[in-house]
Amino acid sequence: MHHLLPLLPAIPLLVAAVLVAGGRRLPRPAAESLASLTAAATAALAVFLLLHSSPPLVEWVGGWFPRHGESVGIVLLGDGASLGMAALVSLLTLAALAYSWHYFDEPPRGHAGSYPAMMLLFQGGMCGFALAGDLFNAFVFFELMGVVAYALTGYRIDEAKAVQGALSFALVNSLGAYFMLMGIALLYARTGELAMAKIGQGLDRAAGHHGPDVLVLAGFALFLTGLLVKAAAVPFQFWLPDAHAVAPTPVCMLLSGVMVELGVYGVWRVHGLVFAGPGGVPAADATRVLVVLGVLTAAVGSVMCWYQRHIKRLLAFSTISHTGLFLLGIGVLRPEGDVGTALYVLGHAGVKAALFACAGVLLDRYGTVDEFQLHGRARRLRGVGVLFAVGALALAGLPPFATGLGKAVSEEAVGGPLTVVYVLASALTGGAVLRVAARVFLGLGRRPAAEDGQEREEDKTSGGSEEPETRQRLTGVPATMRTVPAVLLAAALLAGAVPGFAEAAGHAVEESGSPGVFSSAHWTASGVLLDLLSTLLAAVLAGVAVARPGLLSAPGWALPLRRLQSGHVGDYVAWLLLGTALLGALALPGVLG
Amino acid sequence: MTPRVRLWLVCLGGGGLAALLVAACLRLPAFGGLWHPYGDRAVRTSLARHTANTVASVNFDQRAFDTMGEMTILFGAVLGCVVLLRQARDEHRDPPEPCEVVPPVRRYALIVLPVALVTGLYVIAHGQLSPGGGFQGGVVAATSLHLMYLGADYAALERIRPVEAYEVTDALSASAYLLLGLAGVLTGTAFLANTLLPYGTFNTLSSGGTVPLLNAAIGVEVACAVVVLLARFLDQAVEIEEAKGEMSAP
Repeated sequence: MHHLLPLLPAIPLLVAAVLVAGGRRLPRPAAESLASLTAAATAALAVFLLLHSSPPLVEWVGGWFPRHGESVGIVLLGDGASLGMAALVSLLTLAALAYSWHYFDEPPRGHAGSYPAMMLLFQGGMCGFALAGDLFNAFVFFELMGVVAYALTGYRIDEAKAVQGALSFALVNSLGAYFMLMGIALLYARTGELAMAKIGQGLDRAAGHHGPDVLVLAGFALFLTGLLVKAAAVPFQFWLPDAHAVAPTPVCMLLSGVMVELGVYGVWRVHGLVFAGPGGVPAADATRVLVVLGVLTAAVGSVMCWYQRHIKRLLAFSTISHTGLFLLGIGVLRPEGDVGTALYVLGHAGVKAALFACAGVLLDRYGTVDEFQLHGRARRLRGVGVLFAVGALALAGLPPFATGLGKAVSEEAVGGPLTVVYVLASALTGGAVLRVAARVFLGLGRRPAAEDGQEREEDKTSGGSEEPETRQRLTGVPATMRTVPAVLLAAALLAGAVPGFAEAAGHAVEESGSPGVFSSAHWTASGVLLDLLSTLLAAVLAGVAVARPGLLSAPGWALPLRRLQSGHVGDYVAWLLLGTALLGALALPGVLG
Repeated sequence: MTPRVRLWLVCLGGGGLAALLVAACLRLPAFGGLWHPYGDRAVRTSLARHTANTVASVNFDQRAFDTMGEMTILFGAVLGCVVLLRQARDEHRDPPEPCEVVPPVRRYALIVLPVALVTGLYVIAHGQLSPGGGFQGGVVAATSLHLMYLGADYAALERIRPVEAYEVTDALSASAYLLLGLAGVLTGTAFLANTLLPYGTFNTLSSGGTVPLLNAAIGVEVACAVVVLLARFLDQAVEIEEAKGEMSAP
């Protein structure tokens, strides 16, 4: 069984190569069917392995099983968390491929294979990263998913904005990857090992009774920088809105739905295997790092989300906000927090991908994603409007969506004042999306007039007059573009509502993290009440925003926050350097003490 | 953000990071020590598998899965370039004029081209024996073809370099690597297991089991990938022009 683990990345990669080889001769439907079939087959394999992952599967690629406790090979981990992520990646790729079925402009000069091939390479990279149990192997797949994602983001080369967004995405993420590589080098120098668990043991042995030293701290800060850049945590988050605003919609579904979350997953995995021991980073310091960054990320993300009118940017900031919540969830280092976060990630993937899918319909139908310009124009798209509104409520945590369940379980795990962060962040982001739904699909409220004469700061990123991604503007909405968001929302609903699913998922996650500790993930009265509270808050916020726009317009202090998102890559790099130093400073007490 | 503020941020962040790195580097093992846990194991394993070049053994046997990822990164990067550097809607192709090359340059390029090509192929073929291998040899072989551009002109280069064929070969050699990996699973061992072929006599071309095959696949893949990559950039520089007015100088 464990021999099948390497196939999860290898099969999509192989089919991608075949698609490129035969791409010129294959007709477009054949290329797209083959890619969808491959994504479906990989998803089936991941689910099959997931069902057999207790006890967790371990594979040494090339048959390099350890002898006398030592191996020269690469280890893959097939436990509930990694296989769950691989299954999520594959299913979401399938959804994105189905959504983009006959959707794009014809790729260049009869290259029918190149777009589906890139999607499969992206899928293979993400699956490989999810399974990696070896630090360097994780880096390799991290780079693979990065490289393909940059190219996919800049896919629409006819627009200067797309190239600019892809460029800042590529620069910031590559810099993060170099930091990650430096971290690996430091940890390798200390331990002479590359397998994560082996490095963890090596660090413990080297530390003896003294605890960690500054080399471990530097390794921690550098490696986490790479992962947190991918996870778009503050202050590494600037690339994400710029990339999401320009990336093709199916690519946004993957970026926001699962790639960003893989950064959080990587933090969880690497912390658990490498830095959790006595030679690693003390628990109090790791918690401080993750909770501080998590709260900052949730706050910045949700406030920025509220003040956007470019719908794709708005959704991108809501992803940042939710990443903050995920970091909080794993940051408290409790099994319940891990389980809650896992469920939250599952639900969020479905909901956010569905919302992007709906935004894509607006873009291709009306050639704009500006909330103001679209005011009342999409009244006739009733089905899409209902999906968008339901997605907004699910984002706010409406039970019994999996987002609500994950939020409730996480809230219980973090406890105390941090609960407020969950409620406010999900209310603000859900409220912002709901406000868009009310204005665009119902035409409620006054049509916001463009200010005369002066151009305001926010007009530069309004999202008006975008090029549709289809060959010409859609007149009707194709069935695939309506079905995919509906199915995704239904999946997010079922994941929260089907009795037993949450328990099974929780069990699988706990078995991969801290074996022997069992808690149960289920709906509780307080959880439901908090979920309803945040949903209600979201509805109130949206209602006030629509009825009395003046009350909730951007206050003076929000403007500098907007200005930070300058689009200047130099600024983003400066923030990245500052962020790495901040990571080191936040974890410093553990080394000094 | 004003340049001044940005500079302050860079100084602050960069300074903190530099302090962290310097402090960490002081804690690194001293240079020239005797403790090399991974190196010792890798050399022992490489000898056991009759692979004379330990680096090749690490790349194509012990950690062949990493190489699969790296190969795919290159493959994905090339595919990304092909897609991003395609002819945009407002661009058209303009075949470049043939141009004169100074005779000494022409002579030099035409003499060195076959030598460089053979050197590249040699470095690929002896990857399992001596320093070098598919990655290095592939780059040498690919760049050797471009001496044609220096020695003759762009049209001559295009004749010996049909990009489509190279694109297809690139994809096929990447598939070959992956199929060799799958063969391990199909024969009941593990993915990319080096158990399909006998290990052969130490220090001969056919030694090392599947190492020479994987190495050759990488060599072809890298050579083709570099050719396609350079072709796309040269296309942009030489052939593809913007539609409106501004034609670049010949």
